[in-house]
Amino acid sequence: MGSGTSSSVASPLSAPRGSLGVNVPAAIVVGISLVIGLLMVVVFRYTSDQKAIHVAKDRLKAHLLALRLFQDQIPVVLRSYVRIVLATGRYLRLAFKPLLFVIVPLTFLIVQLDRYLGSMPVAAGQPFLVKVRLDNPNTLNEASLQLPDGLLTTASAVHVPSESEVVWRVVAEKPGEYKVNVQSADQTFSKRVVVGAGLSRLSPVRLRGKFWERIFVSGEPALPKNNPIESIDVQYPARNIAFAGFEWNWIWLFFVLSLAAGFLFKSILGIEI
Amino acid sequence: MKWSETTSPAARRRLLASLAVLGVVLLHPSLSHAYAGPGAGFAVLSSFWTLFVAFLYSVYAFFAWPFRQLFRLLRRRKAYGKAQIKRAIILGFDGMDPELTERFIAEGKLPNLASLRERGTFRKLQTTFPPISPVAWSTFMTGVNPGKHNIYDFLARDLSNYLPYLSSAEIKGPKRSWKIGKYTIPLGGPRIKGMRRGIPFWHWLGEAGIFCSVIRVPVTFPPEKFSGVLLSGMCVPDLKGSQGTFCLCTTRLPTEKFREGGVRVPIERHRSSCSSYVPGPENPLTGGSGDELRVNFEIQLDNRNQARFTVDSQTFTLKVGDYSEWIPVKFRAGVGFSAHGICRFYLKELSPEVEVYVTPVNIDPGKPDLPISHPVTYSIYLAKLFGPYATLGLAEDTWALNEEVLDDQAFLAQCYANHGDRERMLFDALEKTRQGLCACVFDTTDRVQHMFWRYLDEDHPAARDVPRDQRPSVIQELYSRMDKLIGRVMEQIDDKTLLMIVSDHGFKSFARCVNLNAWLHQNGYLALKSGKTESGDWFDDVDWSRTRAYTMGLNGLYLNLKGREREGIIEPGADADALKDELGRKLDGLVDPASGRAGITGVFDCDSVYAGPYVDNAPDLIVGYGDGFRASWDSVMGKVTSQIFEDNLKAWSGDHCIDPRLVPGVLFCNRKISAEKPAIVDVAPTVLKLFGLALPVHLDGKPWTVAPSTAP
Repeated sequence: MGSGTSSSVASPLSAPRGSLGVNVPAAIVVGISLVIGLLMVVVFRYTSDQKAIHVAKDRLKAHLLALRLFQDQIPVVLRSYVRIVLATGRYLRLAFKPLLFVIVPLTFLIVQLDRYLGSMPVAAGQPFLVKVRLDNPNTLNEASLQLPDGLLTTASAVHVPSESEVVWRVVAEKPGEYKVNVQSADQTFSKRVVVGAGLSRLSPVRLRGKFWERIFVSGEPALPKNNPIESIDVQYPARNIAFAGFEWNWIWLFFVLSLAAGFLFKSILGIEI
Repeated sequence: MKWSETTSPAARRRLLASLAVLGVVLLHPSLSHAYAGPGAGFAVLSSFWTLFVAFLYSVYAFFAWPFRQLFRLLRRRKAYGKAQIKRAIILGFDGMDPELTERFIAEGKLPNLASLRERGTFRKLQTTFPPISPVAWSTFMTGVNPGKHNIYDFLARDLSNYLPYLSSAEIKGPKRSWKIGKYTIPLGGPRIKGMRRGIPFWHWLGEAGIFCSVIRVPVTFPPEKFSGVLLSGMCVPDLKGSQGTFCLCTTRLPTEKFREGGVRVPIERHRSSCSSYVPGPENPLTGGSGDELRVNFEIQLDNRNQARFTVDSQTFTLKVGDYSEWIPVKFRAGVGFSAHGICRFYLKELSPEVEVYVTPVNIDPGKPDLPISHPVTYSIYLAKLFGPYATLGLAEDTWALNEEVLDDQAFLAQCYANHGDRERMLFDALEKTRQGLCACVFDTTDRVQHMFWRYLDEDHPAARDVPRDQRPSVIQELYSRMDKLIGRVMEQIDDKTLLMIVSDHGFKSFARCVNLNAWLHQNGYLALKSGKTESGDWFDDVDWSRTRAYTMGLNGLYLNLKGREREGIIEPGADADALKDELGRKLDGLVDPASGRAGITGVFDCDSVYAGPYVDNAPDLIVGYGDGFRASWDSVMGKVTSQIFEDNLKAWSGDHCIDPRLVPGVLFCNRKISAEKPAIVDVAPTVLKLFGLALPVHLDGKPWTVAPSTAP
């Protein structure tokens, strides 16, 4: 052990609360939600058929009203149900057309934000797991973990043949950015581990191949193709953001706030959604 | 041609790559990328919400259904148990004339009506005294004479000041308000009181559990509660509270005011644009100071033939001679106080002057500030289903054509646009009412005949300049269009459906005007103040202390009765009866010196034609004008002029407010009807009887004998 590298984590966002006592993650989510809310409704305005959406929504409401107005006319009520489903489909089709324009950039933006806001760095002194998955469950014995100064294993490696995994329980002595090395079949591969508090760009897993999965969950270079290790996984704790008296996963907070912002801006700008 | 042949390889690669990215994104959802912004979020949420509401309603309906069915069964046993029909469809064509109908049938232009006549019934339908739409349709729906429903004309008079008011409904401000300085905060909505008495027959049907869809039957404002849906028709006001006030926005210098029904508003020119406004209702916060709310609009002149309008935040482009769609307008009085209306813009001219006609601001059916339907959601339902539609009672702007603000084509375009909306509503109501009553009144027939009879009457003074071979056949086309509508309805009916087509009155030419107030003045029954030879509108300068009789409105003649009118001088009883006899004798057969024809062919004592609790509100005499005559425009407005007879030079050239015996309506039915003299008052009892209901004892109409099934 001891061949890994380490450096200290220092960024303006490294503390959960900024120097003015601001809840930084919450402030970021609020700010981004407002901007995205505005941007998306504007994009929606220019990429959707506003008139058709207005008509589709009105038809939908009409069929809902018909349920009540003609409640004793069973055939009318049944027809209205069918029309509600059809009208919903039509509305969704119209509303999702703008989605084609925003889904790719927005998805990548959300993925990037998730790197910062989805998980927290491991706290110093707090044990965490490093999992390595190999191709062949018979070679689990060949895998070893090399830790830099400041990281220690607190238990022997656990082999899980059914999952083809080796799991180490590790603890950090102090905050910093570390590289742990995993060796198997004479090849060594590193994985970045961040220990501390605040906002850091975290990559919970380093993967071999799996291009699309890597894009969405990994922030590190791919493992080489011809090596026995499939993935190296560090289990960071999920980040909860305190906002309005609740603990939120950032994506739910973003969902609620960007919807609220969208609703606000659509009303101000007279945009039909 | 294949897609690959028309697209470059690079573009294909980009598209495929995009699709691949999209596919992966959609097929590999995780928490972080399942959400793609508020647009999609709204779409998903609102769709979910819609389905959730529908689901909730289904749960409610499921549990409530047995109770409702039981309740319905108990009620419906009374109705359908003895019913001869499953469904009654009544199409009202306001003013459809039996003589014209026969003529066009004979010419082979109305095949569907010819078929109805052949297989079922075609008769003349006796109308009411007087033969005016609000009177006749009130009788149609209540089955009683005007003495029991209290509608004698569009207007009634205020006995305390001889001024007119709308006879069908009274709209007042809220009961309570809060005064803060110069502002008045209304506490509550406006108070609306229906003046029509009597109970519409659909009320009885609803009581028996028979569902009714009633669309645009006149004098159904304010809408009354019953078991069914109803959209109010004639007498629904515009947002200003009037029966229709159009607006002409113009850069021309103001000339004289419009006689009635419209206002002029200046258009201000800027460098490359113009601006003006749509006048709206009075500001409710300034407590009757006459402060008018406005919605401003701008016109960008694209070229000599086209302009771009910006109204509120809405933008649309019009060519000269084009109408806009219905544009929502919001009149803001202050925070929390606004009135929602809709109007259409018609670009009349861009060069050298700029002129824009704006329809009366209709109550927005999607956000009704006054109740215009029962339940209130019905007007909203129709607006959501078909888009905004005219809600004003007299939606076709006859005044604008009369004042030459609109030309024939623009007026017709407006009429048929409204008519198209009504047709859609009718067919929706037919689809929703497979059992029960579906009644719909079309007033296009009335408006078009009023305005285009001049082309039918060879000698009409309003069309003397138009050579006979250049006169458009507007009325014949109107009847053909209605016939086609009837044909489409006939396709939807079965043996258990009764189809009835009725009109409230017929039509005649209105070539000569009779100023009855002038006649009363010249014959010593009406006195003007000293030195006056004519009066202003609404009896301005009339000396009531020496006036024995007066007229206002279309057919009513009133005695200035002591104890009734504020300054009445005629003793009730023998004196009044003697005066009525005298006036009746003198007026009956009154000859127009210009033509030698009788301008008045009958004068009817209200005591002999009306019976009921509201007879006291009736005119004392009903004047029946002769064929070709009608009350003059001035006389209707309580004005005394020097001329008794004069030519009618207005586009409003046909009328029916004459001797009721000359203008019966039509009755078509898909079944044989036996009745000696069918009258409009008989429709209600006939429908009640066909549905197996006992007839209320107060009805004046007698049910017809209707054949049990449609003739093959």
